[in-house]
Amino acid sequence: MKSTTNNKNIKAALTVATAALLGTSHSSQAQTAEEDSWQIDSAFLYYSETDRVSAGEAIINAQKTFEDEEVLNLKLTIDTLTGSSANGAVAQPTVQTFTRPSGNGQYQINENDTPLDDTFKDTRVQLNAQWTQPIAADYTLSTGGHLSKEYDYLSLGINANLAVDFDRKNSTFSAGFSFFHDTFSPEGGIPKPLSSMLIGDNNDSNWDENFSQTRLSSDDTKTTTDFLLGFTQVINRRMIMQFNYSYSMVDGYLTDPFKIVSVVNSNGITQDNIYESRPSSRAKQSLYAQSMYHFETNVLDVSYRYMWDDWDIASHTIDSRLRIPLGDLWGKESYVQPHARFYQQSAAEFYRAFIQKSDVTGIEHISADYRIGEMTAYTLGLKFGTLINGENELSFRLEYYRQTPTGGGREPIGVLNDLELYPTVDAVIGQVTYSF
Amino acid sequence: MSFSQKIKTALLVMLVVSFSGCANLGVEPWERDLLAKKEMALNASPVDSALDDHIYFSKEASSGGKSFGGGGCGCN
Amino acid sequence: MTTKQFTISQCQDSHSINFNAMASPCEILVQSTDIGLANKLANEICTEVWRIEDKYNRYDNNSVCSKINEKAGHRVAIDEETFLLLNFAEQCYQLSEGLFDISSGCLRKVWTFDCTNNIPSEAEVNQVLKSVGWRKIQFDRQFITLAKNMEIDFGGIGKEYAVDRSILLAKQITNVPVLVNLGGDLAVTESRHNNMPWQVAIEHPDIERADKTTADMIVSLHSGALATSGDSRRYLKKDGQHYGHVLNAKTGWPISHAPRSITVVAPQCIQAGILATMALLQGKQAEQFLADQDVKYWSRR
Repeated sequence: MKSTTNNKNIKAALTVATAALLGTSHSSQAQTAEEDSWQIDSAFLYYSETDRVSAGEAIINAQKTFEDEEVLNLKLTIDTLTGSSANGAVAQPTVQTFTRPSGNGQYQINENDTPLDDTFKDTRVQLNAQWTQPIAADYTLSTGGHLSKEYDYLSLGINANLAVDFDRKNSTFSAGFSFFHDTFSPEGGIPKPLSSMLIGDNNDSNWDENFSQTRLSSDDTKTTTDFLLGFTQVINRRMIMQFNYSYSMVDGYLTDPFKIVSVVNSNGITQDNIYESRPSSRAKQSLYAQSMYHFETNVLDVSYRYMWDDWDIASHTIDSRLRIPLGDLWGKESYVQPHARFYQQSAAEFYRAFIQKSDVTGIEHISADYRIGEMTAYTLGLKFGTLINGENELSFRLEYYRQTPTGGGREPIGVLNDLELYPTVDAVIGQVTYSF
Repeated sequence: MSFSQKIKTALLVMLVVSFSGCANLGVEPWERDLLAKKEMALNASPVDSALDDHIYFSKEASSGGKSFGGGGCGCN
Repeated sequence: MTTKQFTISQCQDSHSINFNAMASPCEILVQSTDIGLANKLANEICTEVWRIEDKYNRYDNNSVCSKINEKAGHRVAIDEETFLLLNFAEQCYQLSEGLFDISSGCLRKVWTFDCTNNIPSEAEVNQVLKSVGWRKIQFDRQFITLAKNMEIDFGGIGKEYAVDRSILLAKQITNVPVLVNLGGDLAVTESRHNNMPWQVAIEHPDIERADKTTADMIVSLHSGALATSGDSRRYLKKDGQHYGHVLNAKTGWPISHAPRSITVVAPQCIQAGILATMALLQGKQAEQFLADQDVKYWSRR
C-alpha cells in the first residue's frame, strides 16, 4: 500500500474479484437456480447432398445438476436417411444394371453417371445417459450408456472417465475408456467378400437360390474399444488449452456389405462387380489439441487433430470458430459465429477406385468406398444465436460442406480417362436449436 | 523422418513443453470471470458437436479425438 | 433477532418497501405503481437478505459462520457461496497487505468502543492477537479449518454482499428502476425513468460547518452502488487521544488518524464497501489512497 504503483491495481483487482464473487448477471442466479431444474436443449438438423443423401436429425438433451455437483444427462436422438449414395462401382460409357442389396430388384444407372444406390431409407433412434459426480476433492467420475437402433443395426455401448484436478483446478488429467458392441443385420444378409454381384431377374425361379449362394450369413458383429487420455490447462485469464491422445481398436465385421468394386479390362470396361472386403480389425490413434481464447469480447476456438491407423490412413483436421457477440443488436445478447473446417485424409492401403481383371487374384482386401480413399474436405458455416424470453437461447446454423475425393496417383485406364472417377460431393447443412 | 513421424514428434513436444511450463500457468480462483463463461467451455455447444461428429463419422474415415469416437451407428 | 416482516407503502410513482435486517433499517424503492410487482420484489429480496443474514450472522448460533467458529481447530464443510466469499476475503487480505482480515473479529473481546476510556493493555491485546491471522486459516472449495480459538466475521462484507445479491435478483425480476438500501449501504439497478438520477441522502452528524449545524449531503446516483465505512459514533477517548474503531489487524490497535467515516461510490456495493474500509485502514492517507484509485468518495474527519 505504500508504493503508488500497487495502488493503481487495487481498483481493477477488486473489480475482477467482485465479478468472481457475484458472477455474471446470468450465472450467479443460475448457480442457485440450476441446481434444481432441468436444462433442455432441443435441435433439428437437415443435411442434404446435391443429388445424393438427405438426412434429418433431431436431438433432445436434458441435463440436471443436483446438490454436490452431480450431473445427470439424458439424450434422445432420432434421425432418418433417404436418398442415394455411391455404391463403389465406376461410371461407364454404357448403361449399367446393379442388384439391390436385399436381392429384391435391380436398378439402372445411365451412361457416364456415377453409380448411386438409392435403396437407403432408414430411421434410427438413439438413447444416451451419462452420470457425472465428484468422488473426492478434485476427483470427478463420469459413466454412461448408449443404445442405438435402426432397422438393420443395433449398437450398445458403455463408457467411464476419471478426471483429476491440480493446482487450483488449473490443470486436469483425465483417463477414459468406452466399449461398443454392434450387431449388423443388413437386408439380404452379409455377402461373401470378393464374390461377384449377381445380376439377373429376381423373378426368375432360380434367383433366390443363386442369390443365397452369394451370401455368407444373415448378420455379423463388431466391437469398438476406445481409450482416451486428456490434459487440460488454464494458460491465463483469457486462455485454456486441451491435449488428448486416443487409441481405438475395432474388431469384427468392418466391411460395408452394400459396397462393390468394379473389375475392369485393359480398356476400362467393367467385366464384373465384386463385393468389397476390409480387414477384420482396425487400430486407430489420434492426437488432438485445442485452444480457446477470449479477446475483449470475441472468443476464438481452434483445434487440430492428427489421426493415423493400421490401414495406412492418416488425416489432418483443423477446426475453428470465432464467436462475435453483437450485444443487443438483433435480439437480446445475440452473437454470430463463423466456422471453418479443413480436413484431409490419405487412402487406406487397400483402397482402389477400380481393379483390373489381371490384378484380382491374390487380393485379400479391397474397397472402392471414397470415404476411405484420398480426400480433401472443407466446411464453411455461420451460426446466429439470440436470447428470447430473457433466458432461453434460439440459434440458427447454416453450413456448406464440400468433399473432394482424389485419385492418389493411380492412373485411370482406357475409357475411364473420360469419366469422372472421383466426383465432388457438396452438401448443405441447416440447424435450428432451442435451449430452455 | 517421414512426415507423419514429424507430426507425431511435434505434437509430443508441444505436450512436454506445456507440461514443463505449468508452474507459471494458471489463474487464481477469483480470476475466472472470463473462463467461467459458457462460451469458454472446451465443448461450448455439445449439441452442435454431437450433430457434426455424426456427419463427419459417416462421411470421412476419422472419428473422435475430442471425445470417444466409438461405434454407435451403422451410418457408414 | 430480526422480525421478519416488511411493509409496503406507495408514494407518487413509486413503492417503498421497509424491513429490518442485519441490525439496520432497510428499504427497497421501486419506481412502479404496480403493487403486485412491489410484493414480488419484497418477498424475494427480503427472503434473500434474511437468508444471507441467517447464514453469516456471527451472533446467530445456527449460522454457518457460528458453526465454523465453534468448530475452530476442526474441518468444517462449506458450500460454493461460502467458498466464494472466503476467496473474496482472501483477495482483500492480499490487496490490503494484511490490514483487512476477517479473522480480526475477536479483537472486539478487548476493544469495546463504548465512548469511555476503557483502553486495553498491551498485554491484553497481544494475547488476543494470537488468535488473529488470515494465514492461519486453511480452506478450499469444500472445507475450511480455522486454527484453535480463531473466529471469522463476515460483518465487513456481509451487508454489501447482500445488497449486490438483491440487485441481481431485482434485475431478474423486473426492468423497472429499483434501489436497495440496507442500513446505508445501497445500490441501484439503473437510473430512474427518463434518465433521472436517484437522490440519496448521506447522514453524517458531525460534518464541520461554520455554524456547527449538521447537514445531510445529497448524492445523485445514476447507476452503481454506495457504501459507507466507519461510524463516528463508536470511539474511545483517553488522555486527549481519540481512538477510532477501525483496528489494524496486524498490531491489534486502532488505526491512528483515520477519518470518522468514508463513503465510496463504485459499480458494486461490495467493491464500494471494501474500498471504503481499505481507505480507513490507511489512516492519515485515506483520502490520498482513494484519489490515487480514481474513486469517487466523501470523507468525514
